[in-house]
Amino acid sequence: MSEQYDPNIVAFLCNWCSYAGADLAGTSRTHYPANINIIRVMCSGRVNPLFIINALQQGADGVLVSGCHPGDCHYMEGNFYARRRFGLMKELLEYVGVDPKRFNMSWVSASEGSKWKDVVEDVVEKAKEAGPFEQFRRNKINW
Amino acid sequence: MVDLEKLKNVAKDTVSREDVKYLIGWRQGTYGFRVSPLFMTEPEDADKLIFSPLCVNNLATYLTLAEKLPVPRGAEPDTRKVALMVKGCDSRAVVQQLIEKGIERESVLVIGCPCQGVLDLEKVEEKFPGIHSPVDVQWGDDKFIINLPDGPQEVPREELLAKKCLNCRYPNPVMSDVMLWEEVEAWGNGEYADVKELEEKDSQARWSFWQDKFESCIRCYACRNACPMCYCEDCVLDRLNPQWIYRSNNISENTVFHLARAFHLVGRCIECGECERVCPMGLPLMTLNRKLVKEVRDKYDFEPGLDPESKPFQSSYRPDDQEDFIL
Amino acid sequence: MNNKPKIGVYVCHCGINIAKTVDVEAVSEFASRLPNVKVARNYSYMCSDPGQLLIREDIKNEGLNRVVVASCSPRMHEMTFRKTLAETGLNPYYLEMANIREHCSWVHEDREEATEKAKKLVFSAVAKARLLEPLYENEVEVEPATLVIGGGIAGIQAALDIADAGFKVYLVEKTPSVGGRMSQLDKTFPTLDCSACILTPKMVDVASHPNIELLAYSEVEEISGYVGNFEVKVRKKARYVDVNKCTGCGVCSEECRLAGRIPSEFNAGMGNRAAIYLPFPQAVPAKYTIDPERCLMLTRGKCGKGPKCEAACAAGAIDFNQKDEIVECKVGAIIVATGFDVFDAAKKPEYGYNDYDNVITALELERLVSASGPTGGNIVLGKGEDAFVPQEVAFISCVGSRDKSVGNEYCSRVCCMYTAKLAHLVKEKLPEANVRVYYMDVRAFGKGFEEFYDRVRREGVRYIRGNPSEIFKRGDKLVIKAEDTLRSTPIEDEVDLVVLAVGLEPRRDARQIIDLLRLSQSADRFYLEAHPKLAPVNTATDGVFLAGCSQGPKDIPDTVAQAKGAASSALVLLSSGKVKIGAQISFVNEATCRGCGYCVEICPYGAIELVTVNRMGNMVQVARVNEALCKGCGACSAGCLSGSIQQKSFMDRQILPQIAVLGGVK
Repeated sequence: MSEQYDPNIVAFLCNWCSYAGADLAGTSRTHYPANINIIRVMCSGRVNPLFIINALQQGADGVLVSGCHPGDCHYMEGNFYARRRFGLMKELLEYVGVDPKRFNMSWVSASEGSKWKDVVEDVVEKAKEAGPFEQFRRNKINW
Repeated sequence: MVDLEKLKNVAKDTVSREDVKYLIGWRQGTYGFRVSPLFMTEPEDADKLIFSPLCVNNLATYLTLAEKLPVPRGAEPDTRKVALMVKGCDSRAVVQQLIEKGIERESVLVIGCPCQGVLDLEKVEEKFPGIHSPVDVQWGDDKFIINLPDGPQEVPREELLAKKCLNCRYPNPVMSDVMLWEEVEAWGNGEYADVKELEEKDSQARWSFWQDKFESCIRCYACRNACPMCYCEDCVLDRLNPQWIYRSNNISENTVFHLARAFHLVGRCIECGECERVCPMGLPLMTLNRKLVKEVRDKYDFEPGLDPESKPFQSSYRPDDQEDFIL
Repeated sequence: MNNKPKIGVYVCHCGINIAKTVDVEAVSEFASRLPNVKVARNYSYMCSDPGQLLIREDIKNEGLNRVVVASCSPRMHEMTFRKTLAETGLNPYYLEMANIREHCSWVHEDREEATEKAKKLVFSAVAKARLLEPLYENEVEVEPATLVIGGGIAGIQAALDIADAGFKVYLVEKTPSVGGRMSQLDKTFPTLDCSACILTPKMVDVASHPNIELLAYSEVEEISGYVGNFEVKVRKKARYVDVNKCTGCGVCSEECRLAGRIPSEFNAGMGNRAAIYLPFPQAVPAKYTIDPERCLMLTRGKCGKGPKCEAACAAGAIDFNQKDEIVECKVGAIIVATGFDVFDAAKKPEYGYNDYDNVITALELERLVSASGPTGGNIVLGKGEDAFVPQEVAFISCVGSRDKSVGNEYCSRVCCMYTAKLAHLVKEKLPEANVRVYYMDVRAFGKGFEEFYDRVRREGVRYIRGNPSEIFKRGDKLVIKAEDTLRSTPIEDEVDLVVLAVGLEPRRDARQIIDLLRLSQSADRFYLEAHPKLAPVNTATDGVFLAGCSQGPKDIPDTVAQAKGAASSALVLLSSGKVKIGAQISFVNEATCRGCGYCVEICPYGAIELVTVNRMGNMVQVARVNEALCKGCGACSAGCLSGSIQQKSFMDRQILPQIAVLGGVK
């Protein structure tokens, strides 16, 4: 792993809590690493588990799913489904030998701009430790 | 103990019923240790039915595989029942299909066959190579009695037992309309040696293991087609828009295929082992599926295919599901 | 129509907010070379009029059919730009935004890094934009009627407001009379208005209002449908009295063999009633009801030689064969105003509520001081020879509030002030009595509250800061053991009467309404509002509103205010007559759906159902989305194994290209 290695992280954020929390981090001019690329979905429950595998395949070194804290879901239950799905996804990836540091999930509320920064720093650091993802990365661009 | 006479009588009665379309059972194959499914419509075919350690296949797959042909205008769709012979593991497939409404309860007639564990076909063919004529195999006490053309041979049970049976906890059908004979005592304890062995390796070693396997996959999709749980009319992994995986056969696409399939089986895999059995490349697919079976059982306290009234695992949650992995 | 994507990309400088860290020129130049991009521009403020004009001109002149705006968060200006598109006749959902301010220029310092990231975000937006599809917001008609559940002051006020606005109201009350908790109160703090005097006229209004159908002694049994179109079934319980004949004279009640032998709910058990009864003199409707659990005729099938009420009723209104009736109605909005229950003081055994007769709750004292109460407003405890007038009176505040040991962490908001009020009333009626209040904190936050608290203290009510640990009997007296925490001295206080200022709790039957309406509960178990600040009367279910203490403890002014808020929210729906249904909702590809029902179970709104369809002559089950109920969370689509249910604007095939771009496999 080279010193310059800059991990690329794809993050799926729910519109109501985590995306808003990331907005708040911006409004508060909180600085954090630029390695994170956000895809907005309405709810963490919308994140298809195959997105995670797909993101790794399509070049991400790390993937993050972030939603509302349990009980705070704008749609009441979506994050509970997400929690169940991604708990198992993490197990599966780890089991086939993908570094568990690559896939993370977080609860970030709309008021937790500073937590969002911490989460980003944390996942970027973890992805750095894991190094560039090669295991089942696809070899050409998909479009 | 297996009572073939009873099986045949029940089968005759069953297919004679007005409301039964056909019965799916096992018959001796045309070659060595192989059996093939028998789609029985006439009572006189009952003599062809067998139930022996050779009956490895999970026939529940045919319930959902059967094509629903277009019904000619003016005609009524055929809603007669399908009768199905099941071992313990097969019955869980039926229950799981009921849970997720793949079939309807009134469309199936389940004939339960308590099972003492079936053969590992690879092992038996290796032990007795080059046998072309059909071979009859029976259960003995803790052994298989293999009636080879040149006389019977006895082999200890452990030596030839299929991998999925080694630690079976559900040898008896969990659901049936008719139970053909007495239930047997379960012998498994639910521990998965293969999963444990792999878990104890480091990340790199695990990947090397799977990399080797997935690289050898030829993506014939036999695993998917034999799986009683894979019965979408149109598999997402086949689709071009969106195209989740490319057709190319390489480590990337193959890995994604297997991970996606394993994940679609979360809380649904009933461990019949068909995927692994049919794999022409010998991929240990159950070692992948069993990992998730284990996690679902240990961490979420859930086992699929036991109670037709239960909520599907994937469409439910508990407020206290584990979340120690969340940042 | 040729729908080959022609995308316009607009990179906003946002003054220097974006331009300072992101090289906007470079980003728009990069965007101009992306597939399907027809024009790419940058401008100082895209949200300004000239900025929007730029987009509109390009749509017209360049024939754009997709627009990407790279600026601030879509949570900020998505609506603005959707309107911009709509003004040109382009479908507003052909817009995609790239958030290069909150998620880029404001959080990254390095210009080069931020510029590269902005390019990526724009690329991702373009990748999605080319696959966007036009969406349409549907409208459904709103049934111009409202169901109000609960006939307390909240329900009464909401019903009156809506009815006055000219819309039909069905007011359902579980008990035989409207009035609720407020009717049990004597005076109201801090103004000391007589509760009945201000409430009764409203109760009468409710009964006589031409737009209100009062369904007292009734319960909602079933609710189906969705915003604007709820179908409701109400069970009108049998009163065993023909309300059309009953004149409310009350002779039946006097004659009843059980007269004076059944604890009166209205009097909080301080007085008794008969088996045929009017809950209280001012009850509305002023019709008698037979208690089916107590009446001898109804429980045992016989009552002496014949029911005396029947014999006594000159109007012939008694009808033991009456049956429950189901009333069906269609409404556009529902207001839940089911109120509260008081804390069960027996859950604090150290206060001896179950053990000592002269430990009573505030609600019980309320009935004692009330002129309409069992003692005619005299504070007399005990009966007959044991009757006595207390001289030493102690109040204990926060009983069942702010108390984790009983599971109520919250403050009940009214106890401090009703304690002050009751203390004042005790002083007024028994000027010689010594009154003290044991308190943790006095929360006198409302209008006139602090002044009232001051006044009560000046009247001689002693406030002792300390939470009593135990109450026990010594001779005729009750002894309160406490610590005066301001003086750090232990106290043993001998008193005649202890009044427990019990807190407010969610109704014990709160579950019923939750099941009917799919409401949620907050941590305190009261009904959960849609947003604690900005949508305090709304619920997660559109068209269902909350009023009063069902949502959380409140005093009367707050309850009335919230009731008016709920009424006006309902009126917004009713008076517009139509309700818009979100466009970014789920839809099913019935050809590939395998009818497993996962989505049906996942959907938190019950918006998906399985229907039987004819697939080439075979009857198969497939999922179908009720567009009016779907809120567009997309949880169904992530749970769909065959990918058959998708959320518009967030389809798998729209998100995958975003992942591809952001993943960026070289």
